[in-house]
Amino acid sequence: MHKTLWISFALKNTYRVNTILYSLKQIPGLKHLLPDTMYQEPVLKILANILSVIWEILSAFLGKFLYLLLMVFGVGMLYNTADPGRLFLHILFFLTVIGAFANTYMFNPSKDKYYAMILMRMNAREYTLVNYGYAIGKVVIGFLPFSLLLGIRSGVPVWICLLIPFFIAGAKLMVAAYTLWDYERRGTPGNENQLGKLGWILLFLLLAAAYAPPAAGWMLPKGLVVGGMLITIAAGGISIWKILTFREYREMYRQLLNQQRNEQETASQVVREQNRKVISADAGITSNRKGFEYLNELFMKRHQKILWRPSKRIAAVCLCIVIGLLILIWFLPEVKKDVNDVLLVYLPYFSFLMYLMNRGTGFTQALFMNCDHSLLTYPCYKKPACILKLFRIRLREIIKVNLLPAGVIGLGLAVLLYASGGTENPVNYAVLVVSILCMSIFFSVHYLTMYYLLQPFNAETELKSGTYRIVSSGTYLVCYLLMKVRMSILLFGGMTIVFCVVYSAIACVLVYRLAPKTFRIRR
Amino acid sequence: MRFTIEHLKKYFETKEVLRDVNFTFESGKIYGLLGRNGAGKTTLFNCLNRDLPIDGGRFYLEEDGQEKVLEPENIGYVLSTPTVPEFLTGREFLKFFLEINEKSIPDPQPLDAYFDFMSIAPEDRDKLLKDYSHGMKNKMQMLIHMIARPKLLLLDEPLTSLDVVVAEEMKQRLRALKEGRIIIFSTHIMDLALDLCDEIVLLNHGVLEPVDQSNLNEQEFKEKIIAALREEHYA
Repeated sequence: MHKTLWISFALKNTYRVNTILYSLKQIPGLKHLLPDTMYQEPVLKILANILSVIWEILSAFLGKFLYLLLMVFGVGMLYNTADPGRLFLHILFFLTVIGAFANTYMFNPSKDKYYAMILMRMNAREYTLVNYGYAIGKVVIGFLPFSLLLGIRSGVPVWICLLIPFFIAGAKLMVAAYTLWDYERRGTPGNENQLGKLGWILLFLLLAAAYAPPAAGWMLPKGLVVGGMLITIAAGGISIWKILTFREYREMYRQLLNQQRNEQETASQVVREQNRKVISADAGITSNRKGFEYLNELFMKRHQKILWRPSKRIAAVCLCIVIGLLILIWFLPEVKKDVNDVLLVYLPYFSFLMYLMNRGTGFTQALFMNCDHSLLTYPCYKKPACILKLFRIRLREIIKVNLLPAGVIGLGLAVLLYASGGTENPVNYAVLVVSILCMSIFFSVHYLTMYYLLQPFNAETELKSGTYRIVSSGTYLVCYLLMKVRMSILLFGGMTIVFCVVYSAIACVLVYRLAPKTFRIRR
Repeated sequence: MRFTIEHLKKYFETKEVLRDVNFTFESGKIYGLLGRNGAGKTTLFNCLNRDLPIDGGRFYLEEDGQEKVLEPENIGYVLSTPTVPEFLTGREFLKFFLEINEKSIPDPQPLDAYFDFMSIAPEDRDKLLKDYSHGMKNKMQMLIHMIARPKLLLLDEPLTSLDVVVAEEMKQRLRALKEGRIIIFSTHIMDLALDLCDEIVLLNHGVLEPVDQSNLNEQEFKEKIIAALREEHYA
């Protein structure tokens, strides 16, 4: 038993140390400083080992402390109640039931279990019992100081605070024993990461039960909670017997871990598979064009599902909203002024909306997965003239797809502005429409340019470019922050138009200069 | 026509994968590139195809005594996993390919003639490529490269995952294709290399070296190759 514990610790530690070292190497800048041989550098290893030990201690205490502090104690402070102790126990009780089946340790198919029991062929029963015992021990010891600290502060009697860690452990033991029994009966192992519909409904009901009734002043009576805790502790004690005598750990984990393993292997293929699925199998799709136009037309037609269809739907929804607002103005003239005021200063808000509506990311992803990923391996496709010709065609297409909803929104806003009382300066109408259209064109150009200049995918169709990630999140951030900006149509619209025109011009020049070099499959 | 590599170098961090590659390939021949796992065969191909930047040296074509830059359209690179545009049918892919290469394909034939040549069944020609089997995708990929007729054709383990019948067909197609171009064929399977290739080249310790078969029967030749690959310091 001692040896099993020691080996599984060493294994988990090695795994963790290497993960730390690997993550260090992923940080741009450090990447080139750290040598390939870093996994054998004693200094780095010691450093990573120290981090690993700190992590082990933190995971035993900090997580539990934060959980009690934020989920139970902290939330409890938001309620206006005369009996915070009762509230503390109420919330804790329901959350513990959730934790009992959603955080079991035993039925979490983690990688260290796979390595130990499947790859290294350790004795499954011994490994499980030792590690499960350790995990439950961590629960009791980790919770004890904080249940005392926070419980007493909430006014829970000390003896109940002392029961809390054992109650949490007991609940976990009970669920574990039940799940093992269920495995004997049905032959399918429980998996805490796949709760199923019923599990999720139960989880949300319990969550609601924990937080909703106290808002209405209703809480479980203390006596009931304490009774429940005592019964759970007793049942947990009995459950230990089941856990100790269960004989089929090996078979159970073989099933559980292999099922997980298969999913991990396919995870990288999921995106590719999704993109394959959107290709329309409609045999009626044809094209009368030639060359690259032929390729493009077939691509657009066979990818209706992710390009034109959502674009048309968004346009239809926007049209309905505009008409709805017009009717509202018609019947309730008093809202006119509000609508008018909003329209005149909320233009920046629409940049985020246009960001969300843009089909650019889906378009470039499908372009790579279903088209360029393969065609870029053919030499004739890599000729600069071909790359640029296709870029022009694609830019035209993605602008068209995005312009439909943008047009509806732009014109809709102008009509709403007019209907809600108009504006003194008629230039506002034009600026409103043109700036919305410009935003739409900007995003189209932006995504396609990023795709051509950074080509972020490798041959296995994984996203590999850090720069691409940074630019994408930067775009999101800027658009999100723009929501907070309040500016007049004329000022913001004018700036938008100038920015979009200048950006698009620069982007196209860059693509023409650089794309023949940058647009290739990453190795 | 000749294809010459001079002092080609490629490092990954401090690891010298290609140390000093020097070789001249002659047209009309199929070269079998043999090397142990991790010897750098794929790296060499990626460098020649300019998918990886090189750390030194150069390579060029030589035609009628004139040096020429190896343009992307001069190279065909057939990967071991066939890649074809999945949203097109076989016929559409072929049509598209012929149209964008109108100028360089002087005598285009009817599409079905190409399919017949590759023995792709009539009922498969109008299916989406995403529904093609591995072997059929491979045929399709090979067909495109054959029509493109690049001056240098790099094949990375192209026949290993094909069934025996398709593999045999492919071998015949390759033999028919070698006239007027250079084919470099990387593989782990020695029998395949000996069967198909005119010359055997070893990539060992970051350098390319030919293996001379003169006066050796096949068994002796095989033993010589293995000995060369096994030796730590082959001179």
